[in-house]
Amino acid sequence: MIDIVITGIGVISPMGVGREAFWENCRKAKTGIKKITSFDTSSLRSNIAGWVDDFDPSQFMSPGVYRRMSRISRMAVASSVEAVKDSRLILDTIDKERVAVIMGTSYGSSSYVEDFYISLLKDGPRGAQPFLFPETVPNAPASHIAMFHGITGPNTTFCQNEISAENAILYSQNLLIQNQVDVALVGGADELSAILYSCYNAVGALKKIKVENDELVNPKPGDGLILGEGAGVLVMERLDFALERNAKIYGILRSGAITGGMTSVGHYEVEGEQMARAMFLAMKKANIKLDEIDQINVSANFSGELDRMEYNQLKKIFRKPTKDLSVTPLKYLIGDFGGAGVIRAAAILLSLYHQVPLPTVSAQTLKGESQRSIEWDLHSTDKTQVALMTSTTFGGGSTSLVFTKS
Amino acid sequence: MNKNTAKRVVVTGLGIITAIGESIPIFQKALFNGECGIGSVSLFDTTGFTCEVAAQVKIKDLKEFFGAKGIKRVSRCDLLGLIATHEALLDSDLDSKRSSKKDIGVVLGGGAGGMLSWEKYRRTSWLKKTKARPSPLLSIAQGTLTDLIASRYRLTGSRATISTACSSSATSIGFGFDLIRSGAHEIVITGGSESLSELTFAGFNALRLMDPEYCRPFDKSRRGLSLGEGAAILILENYESAEQRGATIYAEVLGYATNSDAFHMTSPDPEAMGMSRVMTKTLETANVSIDQVDYINAHGTATKINDQMETKAIKRVFGEKGARALAISSTKSMVGHCLGASGAIEAVATVLALCEQVVPPTIHLDNPDPDCDLDYVPNNSRTQEMRIALNNSFAFGGNNTSVVFCRG
Repeated sequence: MIDIVITGIGVISPMGVGREAFWENCRKAKTGIKKITSFDTSSLRSNIAGWVDDFDPSQFMSPGVYRRMSRISRMAVASSVEAVKDSRLILDTIDKERVAVIMGTSYGSSSYVEDFYISLLKDGPRGAQPFLFPETVPNAPASHIAMFHGITGPNTTFCQNEISAENAILYSQNLLIQNQVDVALVGGADELSAILYSCYNAVGALKKIKVENDELVNPKPGDGLILGEGAGVLVMERLDFALERNAKIYGILRSGAITGGMTSVGHYEVEGEQMARAMFLAMKKANIKLDEIDQINVSANFSGELDRMEYNQLKKIFRKPTKDLSVTPLKYLIGDFGGAGVIRAAAILLSLYHQVPLPTVSAQTLKGESQRSIEWDLHSTDKTQVALMTSTTFGGGSTSLVFTKS
Repeated sequence: MNKNTAKRVVVTGLGIITAIGESIPIFQKALFNGECGIGSVSLFDTTGFTCEVAAQVKIKDLKEFFGAKGIKRVSRCDLLGLIATHEALLDSDLDSKRSSKKDIGVVLGGGAGGMLSWEKYRRTSWLKKTKARPSPLLSIAQGTLTDLIASRYRLTGSRATISTACSSSATSIGFGFDLIRSGAHEIVITGGSESLSELTFAGFNALRLMDPEYCRPFDKSRRGLSLGEGAAILILENYESAEQRGATIYAEVLGYATNSDAFHMTSPDPEAMGMSRVMTKTLETANVSIDQVDYINAHGTATKINDQMETKAIKRVFGEKGARALAISSTKSMVGHCLGASGAIEAVATVLALCEQVVPPTIHLDNPDPDCDLDYVPNNSRTQEMRIALNNSFAFGGNNTSVVFCRG
């Protein structure tokens, strides 16, 4: 097996803009979920989300560059700028045809879809705004990243709901192993928009919760999704390529697997058999045993359905009292979106690099039976070598990734 | 990848639904007869647009395909996709109860997905006359069709949906190819689906990219593209597994490549570097030399710039002489530009061309553009010996994909 390493990280998240700010808040389990003030939520059942409130694109690129970009593209390009800088890759000195840009997103720019369609409804066929339309395609963020850096290699965008970014990671791993490219910028991005939030509200998917003040919110797991937004980009390369250029290595993507479970539209796999199968496939490929896993990063998102399924499966798989089993549900701090997988992976890689385990909760928390707020256990320094990241989406797909320190 | 361990990938099932045919036999006949599917649109009101036509699938009630029990809460895009999948799985003999193969991957390409359903909701809620029913919103996620197919046939393999506008489903064939070649799967369902929607219709209109009458690829009088809708599914399979179960082999997928122009969101780069590099890379990956290629199913949208750039790119890759020896056609002249589904629809057309040894024509091509001076097989199909064919898809955002097929 050829080792794929991560050598650069860029994060624009509800828990902080920029890798350092994100990591600081990660260590403290400081939530990014807060009252939405960027659009009107008065007629909706909920007014909280994991949203990015302090993003200034001009810190990453000039206004002329981002002027016509949607919010998702701005966040995606910004995180790619940070990731490339972090990796110390000088793109102009390498063959840019051997660099890939692979992204994952659930919905792309829902705000531009809305604005364009409303311009049509309001002003008729001749009033529809042409400059909005090209940004409505989900591949716009990946194209902007390619244009910004002049990257002419493979460019693909995955939209598989909440495992979109994980699909992007696995596709990139394959491109690198096959020696199709030397470097891959792998990202995940989504934007929170008024229209997307109101659609989730209309189908009854959101947690019923209204807060008054702008304070951070620490909801209880169990009965409804909390949406999020953000963007992350990882610089991935083959170990030999990274060693040759003496790159800083955050960690190794040891293996990964995708499976699919049966369910109806908008729901999660009930039993979680396929989620478990993805885990075992990934562990087998990585030649890792259950007792070697130091961190379990789960995809629980407050929906109840997914959280309980993960709890039940982990209980079965690890065969030990769940009070002794610790997991990191990062979406409890950033909210849920299709590109979140890359941000979760970034958290894992930063934790492996700094040798500081991510905050955890008892696996029992996922059951959602407790009436108390989530209690996070913070860890100082400890050895952490092997991390398992499991992700399941509504619609039934699951992925599992294994990251190691060395 | 070690060439010795890499698996060969073949096509063992085809399914299609387009404006010129709702199944492979009907589509094939229309394709070779050069029938035009472009006409009036009944899905939404096109009054007031510069262009009022598109290649809409003609069947009135798509749900009838699903029998008396019917099917509920499924978007038009997903209905089209399920119909094509049903045909492809029957064709490949994988639908039968005898088949115990469940570790099958589903990798599709999508465009606007359930946009038409979302529009219905959005229009009602915007008008505020009646309360909008939220059920159409359930199908707006791009990955819905992939999940629906996997659930319907109880498939537990890899799942992915690629969304790179007009190259989505061509790339899905590529990813399916990767999954089989690397040994991750024996069988992968690939392809894509797209339904017409107001958003894309208004979008291309606003960008002034649509021909008010019908698209005329490579013709001097062309004024733009015609949108279309439909779905196409290709069952990809490991050669040994296909041989073992005695499956019909339509063609072999030899390779693919994707790249980016990194130039502009809606225009190809004026030197056609992205387009030419993706064709070259595809042939390199597939270990095919330029003189081995017989046919190119062109992206051929009928926008002025695409057709000229594609012609330039083909000449750059194959040389003036080599380019003139190729048969090239744009099947979009018949089925319209089906965006997310176009790569797969054109892949099916390419595979059928190789199987039947008939080159599909470019219709509405009466006065060739002097800058487009290659053999685009104008108006009438042609019987010709062909072994290797290339299928081009170039998308918004500068996403290019080429796939190369060999006769089975």
